[in-house]
Amino acid sequence: MLATIAFRLPLLGSIALLLISYLRLLVTDYHTASAQFSLSMADYFCSLFLMLSFFVFLFLERKKLTSLKVFSFSHYVMAVILYAFLFAPVIANSNSDFQKDISVTRLLPPFSSVKVLHLIDPVEKPGRLNNFLALKKKIVKNSFDEKIVFLDSLQKRESGFFYYQNGVEHRLQNSSIETLGGKPDISHKFFLLGSDEFGRDIFTRLIYGTRISLLIGLSAVSLALIVGILLGFLAGFSGGLIDVFLSRLTDMFLSFPIIFFIILILAFFGNSFLSVVVVLGFSGWMSLFRIVKGEVLSLKNKDYFITAQQLGLSKTKLLLKEVLPVIIIPVIINMVFQFGNVVLSESALSFLGLGIGNEFPTWGGMLNSGQEYLSQAWWMIFFPGAAIVLLLVTINDFGRKLAEYFNPRLHL
Amino acid sequence: MNRFPLFVSLTKRLATSVFVLFLTVSFLFVLVRIAPGDPSQKFLSPKLSPRLVEKVKISFQLDKQIHEQYISFLKNAVTGDLGFSYSFHRPVSDVIFEVLPFTVYFSLSAFILQLVGGLLLAVLASHYNKKFWDHFLSGGSMLLYAVPSFVSGLFFIYIFSVQLKIFPSSGIKTVGALEDNLIFLLLDYAQHLFLPVLVLSLTGLPVYFKYFRENFEENGHKLFVTYLRANGVSEKKILCSHIIPNSLNSIIAYAGVDLGILFSGALITEMIFGLPGMGRLVVNAILGRDYPLIIGCTLTAGALIILTGFLADLIRMKIDKRLVKGLLN
Repeated sequence: MLATIAFRLPLLGSIALLLISYLRLLVTDYHTASAQFSLSMADYFCSLFLMLSFFVFLFLERKKLTSLKVFSFSHYVMAVILYAFLFAPVIANSNSDFQKDISVTRLLPPFSSVKVLHLIDPVEKPGRLNNFLALKKKIVKNSFDEKIVFLDSLQKRESGFFYYQNGVEHRLQNSSIETLGGKPDISHKFFLLGSDEFGRDIFTRLIYGTRISLLIGLSAVSLALIVGILLGFLAGFSGGLIDVFLSRLTDMFLSFPIIFFIILILAFFGNSFLSVVVVLGFSGWMSLFRIVKGEVLSLKNKDYFITAQQLGLSKTKLLLKEVLPVIIIPVIINMVFQFGNVVLSESALSFLGLGIGNEFPTWGGMLNSGQEYLSQAWWMIFFPGAAIVLLLVTINDFGRKLAEYFNPRLHL
Repeated sequence: MNRFPLFVSLTKRLATSVFVLFLTVSFLFVLVRIAPGDPSQKFLSPKLSPRLVEKVKISFQLDKQIHEQYISFLKNAVTGDLGFSYSFHRPVSDVIFEVLPFTVYFSLSAFILQLVGGLLLAVLASHYNKKFWDHFLSGGSMLLYAVPSFVSGLFFIYIFSVQLKIFPSSGIKTVGALEDNLIFLLLDYAQHLFLPVLVLSLTGLPVYFKYFRENFEENGHKLFVTYLRANGVSEKKILCSHIIPNSLNSIIAYAGVDLGILFSGALITEMIFGLPGMGRLVVNAILGRDYPLIIGCTLTAGALIILTGFLADLIRMKIDKRLVKGLLN
């Protein structure tokens, strides 16, 4: 982690510069500034801010951090995943959809590097706005860049520069090459984990994929939590017909293979980020419902609960003040495992091509596209697959440790 | 013992499950029809005359109200007619019965493999209680539990089909194989189905292992085991004729549900290995908006799930007479 920070220090510096110039622009020329605003830029600002606050936090809490030794492997994995989740743009430092000159960059094995030729930028006029734009262009990466060319080799002849891409010869205008001391400016782009069939960097996509997995997991679990607790409380508290109906419904949901139902909903009502979250959230409330209902049923006969009821507390108050503190531990443990389930389902859906679409990179989607190139590019399935397994192992391990911590007699 | 009350309560149980299935199918029936989209669109082209378009829609019965469609569906379903598949142009029951035998063989073999494998490994682990092999197997099962079938499937295909070229990567038989040689045919099937069965059973194996291991541990500390040990009964006999039978109860209940879900289709394994099973049939029906086939598959899968759950209950009652008492009271 610290290595990435040291590695990206110049980037962090220029993000800070960008922030300053953006704020200046915001004060002087509000309309241009708001037009220039983009979510990915805000993402960079957030990363900078979080990273700074992270260090401030480390500095303030430095005395408590001496117990680092008790951390286990899964804690470290979790820390790395969270780190990737929060600081994806800073770690990856490129757009997850960036592709150029596919003939050279497609299906590259891990640890390969490609020569990059830089072309001349048209000279920008100096000025506050143009400075800002140039800086923004340097930091916020687009999915395309016309100023660079990936190539295999470059040759200089009398008639000008020629470059070769996968055996095909191209001619280049002499004037458009950026030169460093008379020689053409050639650097290397390094593909740490290789590239996929469109020449996109797998490392970058993996890092950004963390975000989708965790975001969908968190939102779907929160939804399941709300639905499960509310319905469980309702069924346990009021009993009668509602209880019978909801319990039957739970049985139905638990005994039928839920994945088909999820696919049906997504295929018929369209798949997007929101619909995936809603469907996964609504398909995961059953176990929470059972826990909450069981606890409420046993609470109902306890003296303090009856007293609270007789005092005339409203149902909302009863739920928040009397029920929630009692059930919070089993609910949290269940939520952790539920989180693992949702992450797994999301990957499975993306693998089947029914996930949140191709707009964002997902691990399941990467596996899906890697399936076709199985015989040529093992790295396309190995890294996303390993990432999914690692995340799931960590979540399960964390849930088990949590359960053991709260209930030491339990050996899972 | 009087058999009659037992029969009544068992029938009651079955009836509730069938009623739940009926509700599910009805719910799905309405859901697929109120969803946006129109299955007849696939068969229409803008060049067709309006009268022909109308005719096509009538042939799909889409001109009628939902409740009319529902009533005619119920009438036909009672007589065993599940309708006509839009995409296969054949009766739904024919399409399903073509796929069902393969699904049953496939899931049953994976089921047996994971049950037996889980049992054997759990016996091994409890034999080496708290020693290296126990920890190794527990850790391994934890890791295996976190490997989704689409990851293990792709890894296996890469290792065994692409690199080692031992097993084929998809299909259930070699194209143009000698059909008349029975032994060759069986070997061919076995070679094609080895990887899929392995992948499918690997997802369930850790669960059974964990169940067995926990139950062995729990029963191993009970007083009757201590008594048997004090009387000098051999460890092998204690395990085989006392601990394992006592552990079976909850596992059979889980296995019943699990087998039912396996019967309704191992979607992802079928997808990866290109197998003609229920799971792929359902998903293709969903994606092709083949309403009768969706409903037919749901009905079949639900019936199989209820059947296996019921069978598991019967077996449990046969093993453990206390359950019969509990049911009667």
